[in-house]
Amino acid sequence: MKIVIGEGSCGLAAGAGKVHKKISEVLSANGLKADVEITGCCGMCYLEPIVDIYDDYGEKTTYVKVTPKMVDDLILKKIRDKQEVKTCQITQDDLNILGNQKRIVLRNCGVINPEKIDDYLEAGGYEAIKKCISKLSPEDVIDIIKKSGLRGRGGAGFPTWFKWNAARASKSTPKYIVCNADEGDPGAFMDRSVLEGDPHNLIEGMMIGAYAMGAEEGIVYVRAEYPLAIVRLEKAIEQAREKGFLGKRIFGMDFNFDMRIKAGAGAFVCGEETALIASLEGERGMPRLKPPFPAQKGYWQQPTNINNVETFSNVPWIINNGANAFSSMGTEDSKGTKVFALTGKIKNGGLVEVPMGMTLREIIYDIGGGIRDDKKFKAVQLGGPSGGCLPESLLDTPMEYASINKTGAIVGSGGMVVLDETTCMVDVTRFFLDFTKKESCGKCIHCRIGTTRMLELLTRITKGEGKEGDIELLEDLAKKVKDGSLCGLGQTAPNPVLTTIRYFRDEYEAHIKDKKCPAKQCTALITYRIDPDKCIGCTACARNCPVSCIRGEVKKPHEIDPAVCIKCGKCAEVCPVDAVEIL
Amino acid sequence: MSEIRLNIDGIEVKGHQGETILEISKRYDVEIPTLCFDERMDIYGSCGMCVVEVEGIPKLLRSCATEARDGMVVKTRTKRVVESRKIALELLLSDHVGDCRPPCVLACPGQTDCQGYVGLIANGEFDEALKLVKEQLPLPGCIGRVCPHPCEDACRRELVEEPIAIAWQKRFIADMDMKKEEMFIPDLSAPTGKKAAIVGGGPAGLTAAYFLAVKGHEVTIYDMMPKMGGMLRYGIPQYRLPKDVLDKEIAVIEKMGVKLINNKKAGIDFTLEGLRNDFDSVFVGIGAWKSSSMRCEGEEMDGVFGGIDFLRKTALKETSKIGKRVAVIGGGNTAMDAARTAVRLGAEKVYLVYRRTEAEMPAEEVEIVEAREEGVEFVFLASPKKVIAGENGRAEKLEVQNMELGEPDASGRRRPLPIEGDVDIIEIDSIISAIGQGCNPEGLPELSLTRKGTIAADEATFMTNIEGVFAAGDATNKGADIAIQAIGDAKRAVEVMDSYMNGSIIPFKEKYYVERDDLTEEDFADREKISRGTMSHLSPEDRKTNFEEIMKGFTPEEAVRDASRCLECGCHDFFECKLFTYANDYDVDPSKFQGQVHHREQTDEHPFILKNADKCILCGQCVRICDELMGITALGLVNRGFETIVKPTLEQPLVSSGCISCGQCVSACPTGSLQEKLLIKKSVPVQAEVTQGICSYCSLGCQIDVETKGNMLYRALPVKNNPVDGGLLCVKGKFGYDFHNTDRTLTPLVKKDGKLAACDWKEALASIAEKAKGIKSRYGDDALAVLVSDHMTNEEIHMIKSFATGSLGTEKVASLSAKPSGLTDVLGANASPSTMEEMSSADLIIFIGNDIYDTHASMAVKMRKARKNGSKLVLVTEKPTRLDESADMAVQVGNDLSFLREMANALVKRIGSSPRTEGLEAFKASLEDASPRDLALDIAELYFKAKRPVIVFDEARTTRQAARLIAAMAASSGHLGKARQGILALKPANNSQGLADQGIGDAADILDGIASGSVKGLLSFGESLEDINVEPLEFLMQSGFAAVDASAKADVFLPASASFETSGSFTNTERRVQFFEQAVSPKAGLENWQIVSEMASAMGTSLDFDGTLDIFESLRLSTPNYVSINERGFWSDGRGDCLYLDSFATESGKALLLPSKGGKLFEDYKSKYVLEKAFEEYLEKEKLK
Repeated sequence: MKIVIGEGSCGLAAGAGKVHKKISEVLSANGLKADVEITGCCGMCYLEPIVDIYDDYGEKTTYVKVTPKMVDDLILKKIRDKQEVKTCQITQDDLNILGNQKRIVLRNCGVINPEKIDDYLEAGGYEAIKKCISKLSPEDVIDIIKKSGLRGRGGAGFPTWFKWNAARASKSTPKYIVCNADEGDPGAFMDRSVLEGDPHNLIEGMMIGAYAMGAEEGIVYVRAEYPLAIVRLEKAIEQAREKGFLGKRIFGMDFNFDMRIKAGAGAFVCGEETALIASLEGERGMPRLKPPFPAQKGYWQQPTNINNVETFSNVPWIINNGANAFSSMGTEDSKGTKVFALTGKIKNGGLVEVPMGMTLREIIYDIGGGIRDDKKFKAVQLGGPSGGCLPESLLDTPMEYASINKTGAIVGSGGMVVLDETTCMVDVTRFFLDFTKKESCGKCIHCRIGTTRMLELLTRITKGEGKEGDIELLEDLAKKVKDGSLCGLGQTAPNPVLTTIRYFRDEYEAHIKDKKCPAKQCTALITYRIDPDKCIGCTACARNCPVSCIRGEVKKPHEIDPAVCIKCGKCAEVCPVDAVEIL
Repeated sequence: MSEIRLNIDGIEVKGHQGETILEISKRYDVEIPTLCFDERMDIYGSCGMCVVEVEGIPKLLRSCATEARDGMVVKTRTKRVVESRKIALELLLSDHVGDCRPPCVLACPGQTDCQGYVGLIANGEFDEALKLVKEQLPLPGCIGRVCPHPCEDACRRELVEEPIAIAWQKRFIADMDMKKEEMFIPDLSAPTGKKAAIVGGGPAGLTAAYFLAVKGHEVTIYDMMPKMGGMLRYGIPQYRLPKDVLDKEIAVIEKMGVKLINNKKAGIDFTLEGLRNDFDSVFVGIGAWKSSSMRCEGEEMDGVFGGIDFLRKTALKETSKIGKRVAVIGGGNTAMDAARTAVRLGAEKVYLVYRRTEAEMPAEEVEIVEAREEGVEFVFLASPKKVIAGENGRAEKLEVQNMELGEPDASGRRRPLPIEGDVDIIEIDSIISAIGQGCNPEGLPELSLTRKGTIAADEATFMTNIEGVFAAGDATNKGADIAIQAIGDAKRAVEVMDSYMNGSIIPFKEKYYVERDDLTEEDFADREKISRGTMSHLSPEDRKTNFEEIMKGFTPEEAVRDASRCLECGCHDFFECKLFTYANDYDVDPSKFQGQVHHREQTDEHPFILKNADKCILCGQCVRICDELMGITALGLVNRGFETIVKPTLEQPLVSSGCISCGQCVSACPTGSLQEKLLIKKSVPVQAEVTQGICSYCSLGCQIDVETKGNMLYRALPVKNNPVDGGLLCVKGKFGYDFHNTDRTLTPLVKKDGKLAACDWKEALASIAEKAKGIKSRYGDDALAVLVSDHMTNEEIHMIKSFATGSLGTEKVASLSAKPSGLTDVLGANASPSTMEEMSSADLIIFIGNDIYDTHASMAVKMRKARKNGSKLVLVTEKPTRLDESADMAVQVGNDLSFLREMANALVKRIGSSPRTEGLEAFKASLEDASPRDLALDIAELYFKAKRPVIVFDEARTTRQAARLIAAMAASSGHLGKARQGILALKPANNSQGLADQGIGDAADILDGIASGSVKGLLSFGESLEDINVEPLEFLMQSGFAAVDASAKADVFLPASASFETSGSFTNTERRVQFFEQAVSPKAGLENWQIVSEMASAMGTSLDFDGTLDIFESLRLSTPNYVSINERGFWSDGRGDCLYLDSFATESGKALLLPSKGGKLFEDYKSKYVLEKAFEEYLEKEKLK
């Protein structure tokens, strides 16, 4: 008997820690024996805490949304009485979600115990690096990666082999291999999930990269806001060192490599590779000009290769399974799988890993289960705050680099925020701009002031102060900011503006010309009114109004004083007959 | 590096692999703007101004960072590029707070530089102020008197108490000029051969003539009146503008070559067509001479005069029969002039009838006050309705309609409305109507007119409907206005005319300026309230019966006092601001980006540097120059995004940030965000003149662009790309330049009755001669001794030396600052064998000294740079220094020679004898007691193995023993007498080397002589005698800056000239002779060499030279090494720059390896230079050291 509790950040946040404690208590109080293990996130964050119970035959049953209260019943029935427990068992629908995925990066997440290297070894860990060192030359490794078609999963999708090869070709030594784990996009957490759920996979991926390019030192730049990830990765590095996988003469061969963790202070721009290098060197995190590229002059002016967590995590699998196994998945343009973080107004939020080329519709509806509360789909925001918002008409776009770029959005790190009909597209753009504006490092004029001015324009529009010509000014400015900025942050920060103007221009026009917010979200542009025909005079609204602007006698229609109303929406919330309407 | 070919903007150009597009473009004069690039620093790429398009690449590329490739096709000014740059500028300017130009200048229709001339007046630079005014305005005497001065209405001093008296200031400098024998005449450009005719000699025509003449054109003015001046002569009464002022200012224009032709009327004496045929262009400025109609019944009657006609007749001395009772109609300045003229012509009752109230009167307030004082009676809210004739048919009564004020009209003033039936009758003898003037284009029928009847001219080109005929002033477009408006428009028209005559018409365009309008009284609450004061003037009784000028003008003291009140609103970096230049190049309109604007406190916490974050564009140049070049890192970027700001380290005040006050940040700043505090009395932005200077503090000989205005030292700026300092100055060069301006004694002093008393040069010199001769005859020639400072120029030293040996006949010439040279002991000459440029290719630099940032800051920078180029840097110092962080090894050895001896010991063990040295064995033996510790071994090994090592040491602070040891190590190991390796000895002062070159050594003999009584008379030039007992002397002459300290003991004190007050040369520490120009005239009247020359004459001998170049020639021929100074300025023993390539300067030609004993490594050095001492004390007081 084995009990495995999902203890990624998402599980712990949902109460997995308490469930774990309770399980141990119940087991010992009842003199029951079972191995209690932890694992990372399996991707179905919306179902956490998740507990897997393996019976003596190794048969797994998954229980979801487990609370400490349920534990007694679950353990006693399932472990002691060997009975089936239905109350919190995972549904077939939910199981199907996993079934629709192809897991390479996340293959061990939610399966093995990330804090035990033996679990990873049992799953075939460190075989790939062993194979590389003993059987393949660095050139062979690069060739395999080239044939696999692996592209960087951090944003722009640059071919991984090319960067490795460039770093390899640089004569100067020492060389460095750096893992970018500064996952800064709000709503993206695939890197964290890997670090928490399968850290050895990353270590092994980096080792292979280091072998290929000739680096002896690796650094993982993790944002300090990921404390659990840091702890697990630290443990993993320590264990790998103990096993002799890190250090001098690894596997007794002529290969030395060691690595360390650098905790970043959480500036979004430090995800940009040159800013990341500056930050590693102890400088202010600001991008530098390229060329020279890091592969020529990176960390301390030495050849440096930077990939993100997901990219490295693909590598051991590719070595083990061959380039063809990888390249047979995905599309002509984009090979392999991609992890997406599905969030927003989606039924089944969490991490999904699918072959590239799957359409947005399939991901959102078949895996994500569609829109929450059966509202109408409005848009999906791809690629984090500097991505773009795509409308329903583009739902059949396959998720691959070229097709997505054509829409004006980016694959980015794989954030996928689903927006429903209640979202105002101008307001949501304002939200994303507010993020990038604050995260601009301040170096380039276009980005530093341009994002500020765009945000101000958007704010004015949502306040009903938009003027004729503002859309054109925004568009023009957005294009110039893209053109004039040095790094990816500034070059992509205008994407939400450009894509929303492109696909939702009518919403902008409604704000500016009609002074209306079609989604009824911008408070300056809406008024609350009570429909006298519907109102039953129950007084609930008047009693709940924080500014007492609703008058009316009992059992008679009530009325809102628009001059005093602060548009908080409380009346609509409490009205039993939906008599409050928003105009 | 292989050559590449590319195409930039259609031009085929060549470059080298590795060069950026920007570098190549620059070489081919293809201008690419940038706000953040400086070739001395790492590429930063923040401003995005340098973007270009490259064929085949979809992105815009930053040319500062993009390496050119063979075959590239680059376009630097496509629409996309220009728009990207433009929006960057607009974004920057949308958050840029300040005043490019002050409100006074912007308010002036003539754009006279009010802040500039007011500031110059405050500094006592009256001539410069006049020149500056005359760059914009040919008639400052007239305009200073009559202008209603919109500048003063805009003056922010109003927020404190009252505006600056800008008009009076202008008048003051013009009056000063007119008192001179020769009035100022501007420089004229070379004749262009083009001819321009001007119709109308009023303010517009005279201005056009003046500026056309300045541009080298041949100008003729035609005017219908007997004399030039137009409305200034015939419309403004004498008591306001005496006509001799006008005459003098016109005379200057005539002297500039402008032909003045009077009594010629258009249509009668000449035609426009004729002028068009005879001249290349024509300017029409005929003014508005037609009095507007009152539109009231009977206005054509006898006894009704037009205001302007009345004034003109008066000016022409024709009489107008105005009688005893006069009603003047109107509320403007012409009405006031008419009324007050009527008073002066003897009218007993003068009414001023105006349809609104006093508050709405357009006339100047002072006019109203003075008119009232003179007895003019004001009838407000009355409008002429009917002129009623008397029996003789002449006007006898004026019926006026009484009015009340209604709602404001278009002018913003309340509209007068008639009160039905309410009329009054005024008994009068005459009526003068002064309600406005119109244009009378009679005789110019070809010209199209506006609906108003004025001449129609294009708003941007000033061209009329006839090609080549331009028009401006009262006769044009919107009609009559104030004189300075006509002048301003005429000046703008001249720009267009000039371009037209040069073949391509360039329309006038108003410049874009950043302005601020958010300041209130509160912003100036801390200012002391100082009223503007009054100007002396005639009392009403004294003036109302005559036409004498009322206002008497400022005295210089009054002018300076008032000018000193100026708030200095306009940006002090206006003339060098790149942002302003680009903003206008790219025709920006930032108004579309309205939003948050930063308002941060200007920080004024540093004695030399002003920081204003509101003008910062975050180009990072200050931060980077401080970090990358200077190695100080006193500044950094704080916060993110829009809130990013440059702040000193740890957000401390700049003085506590480790700042060395070198001012590099200020020099690098492309805007006015970082400014130097000027050392002049009143800070003022002006375009200064530049002369080449050399810093007169340490021995590196850094070059300075000395900026001056008149006789005012304005600023010191580093000189980019010069080989000596690489365009970097330290605090001394940057801010120490004018330190002597305080507390200087500027007259010669002679001791009378035991006290020093001021006298003239002649008396002082005679007194010296008399005393010197007396001592000579009583005690012999050698009873006289001469001391000379190592801060004096080569020429001054040569003169002093010649004076001593020739005129005084003494051989006793020495310097208190000189000391016996360890280098001479070993190598035979007191000079550095190596040059500073050699350091850039060194592979090892060993520095021996102490905190070099204090003593020779630019050398610290050079050593850092050499390290960046690949050299190792080893420091051997007494204590930790600020350079340690930048070094590969920094060893603190205390003040003991043993470490060097250990190094030498380790070194000599590795080497054998050499034909170029002698005494190796004894030298080795003398070191045996110094068994090397590990570090000494390591460094000796590094030195031994190095291919191009240079030892740099601070000679002033290192003992003679140590210098010998250094020389011996270099010579014995073969690291001397070869190019790119050797020794660089840092001498203490700017001309220590020059002094040594002229054979002037230490003063031990003289000091002994004074003490023993053999020296009776001492003449000291520039030396501080503080530490010397001069009591035994019978006679002491001291030449210096201030009669303090030992000078008080002097019998004669002579005020010396400072280095910027003369020309000449200094020889820097690497034997490079560098010449500099005179920047300002000597404050005390004579340059030092002239003083010495005069002294020689007083002695009855002759030391006559034509100037410093002449002296240098004499010096060159009499100083062995100077005969063959090479083209780079170095003297050496061969053709190259460095010494000893063949043999050493010792008698044997070999280096003498002198046995070494223990002792001290370092010794104290105290500058004997008064200025240096004072400056160092100041820096200490301000906590800058």
